[in-house]
Amino acid sequence: MTDPLRREVEQALTRIIDPETGRDLVAMGLIYGIEVAGDRVQVTMTTTTRGCPLTAMLKHGVEAAVAALPGVAQAEVTLTWEPPWTPARMAPPG
Amino acid sequence: MAWFASAILFLIAALGLMVAGAAGPAHWENGRALAVVHLFALGWLGQMMLGALLQFAPVLVARPLALPALALPALLMSTLGVLLLAAGFLALDGWEGGILLLEAGPVLLAGAFACGGAMLGGTLVAAGGWRGSEARVVLAGLAGLVLVWASGAGMVLDLTGNGPGQLIEALPLHVAVGVGGWLGLAAFGVSYKLFAMFLLAPDGDSAQRRAGFVLALVALSLVLGGLTAVLTALSARLAVIGVAVAALAAAVLYLADIRRLWTIRRRPQPEVNMQMSRAALAFLVLVCGLLPFAAAWGGRWAEAAVFAALVGWLSTLTLAQMIKIVSFLTWIQYFAPRIGKAKVPVVQDLTNAGAARRWLWLWTLGALCGTMALLAEMPLLFRLASLALLAAAIGLAAEAVAIRRLSHLSPDARPTRVPVILPPLAERRPRNDPMQA
Repeated sequence: MTDPLRREVEQALTRIIDPETGRDLVAMGLIYGIEVAGDRVQVTMTTTTRGCPLTAMLKHGVEAAVAALPGVAQAEVTLTWEPPWTPARMAPPG
Repeated sequence: MAWFASAILFLIAALGLMVAGAAGPAHWENGRALAVVHLFALGWLGQMMLGALLQFAPVLVARPLALPALALPALLMSTLGVLLLAAGFLALDGWEGGILLLEAGPVLLAGAFACGGAMLGGTLVAAGGWRGSEARVVLAGLAGLVLVWASGAGMVLDLTGNGPGQLIEALPLHVAVGVGGWLGLAAFGVSYKLFAMFLLAPDGDSAQRRAGFVLALVALSLVLGGLTAVLTALSARLAVIGVAVAALAAAVLYLADIRRLWTIRRRPQPEVNMQMSRAALAFLVLVCGLLPFAAAWGGRWAEAAVFAALVGWLSTLTLAQMIKIVSFLTWIQYFAPRIGKAKVPVVQDLTNAGAARRWLWLWTLGALCGTMALLAEMPLLFRLASLALLAAAIGLAAEAVAIRRLSHLSPDARPTRVPVILPPLAERRPRNDPMQA
């Protein structure tokens, strides 16, 4: 069974859009992992290219969105470019 | 953004002078015409390219820009250098005061290019950019910039009576390396990455790209050889033919590579910047068609080929991407801090795509008519084409200002702080920027 907090984290991330495509971070395939341990949440994410000028802002935005959820005491976001993002990671248009 | 603003002013000035009749078919060697050409090639395209590369080199190699404090002196020296050089060319029309300005222009431009080269080269080389299929093409473009400056400065020495006298023979090589070696290669390198990003296509190396890069290096080497031949009073004719052949082959491979990106894209409906980039690429196809005749016969064929390259291919590409880049940088400035905290518009919301498309179509129409007017040697048609280009440039400049002012956003979507037209020259990154790592 999926942790309700994990579901809420995922929901929060679907409310953050990639400003270039208008699609959310989950649909873009930018979220590589969500770990929930009690009231601590760790999100592992990437960007469409390693030198993306939005990298820092996306990281802070995800941190802020997750930290604002009820029941979250600590939100940590880790960036990784391994494996690198490719357009194949995008969900089909819904 | 200050680079873009300065470049747009140079563009409007150059086109205004063209409308006034300062240049036209078979009239490119007097002082006024040379002033127009350099306002356009150095002031407009050169400053746009340098400004775009300062934004884009960090994206190419995921590393902050080296020596960002040099951006302001580079812009100031570049602007003043272009103005002095353009005014100095009037010495050829009999204005004696122009000689001193003509001598000073290349000195200031050397300073500007040295600063630009230090920032861009420092960023790309420190990150091992020669290993990357996009960054190494930009590095080759910077080598082209050195050659275009050296050949230009040599010709200025001759024009001011300080040179050996035969350096003017380097003119075809100077034009070729300016259009293809510097601006063309820089555009290749940037577009490989930008097109992949905007089309949502997988980026990366390809056989065409590697072969095109080798041909670009061959062309640059031939330019160097040709310039050496001119210095030693030998004919550079063979080098010019060789450069044309290598450049043509490199351009065909580039077009094949971009076609590959286009067909594997994940974005079914590209935005206006990419739609109109296709028109720019169509001009590159036209340039490829004109190039053999230009190399063989020169004259109106060469004029049309250079015009189609500078105005049709490079300027359409630059104007189309300028609208997108201004939107993107403006979005970052005002909305990036709100990510994850509040609803934000998408980048496209900042642009009136319909207006941008109409102005860009007018631009391409003007570029096509101008090319035809040069081929047919019709001065009146050339001036009318210049008028269309001027109207389109002013329309696109107004659209860029509207984007900066967030004019296309509904009032409730705008931030409370009133946007300014020009942001700080060097953007500061947050202290914990992962790109610093």
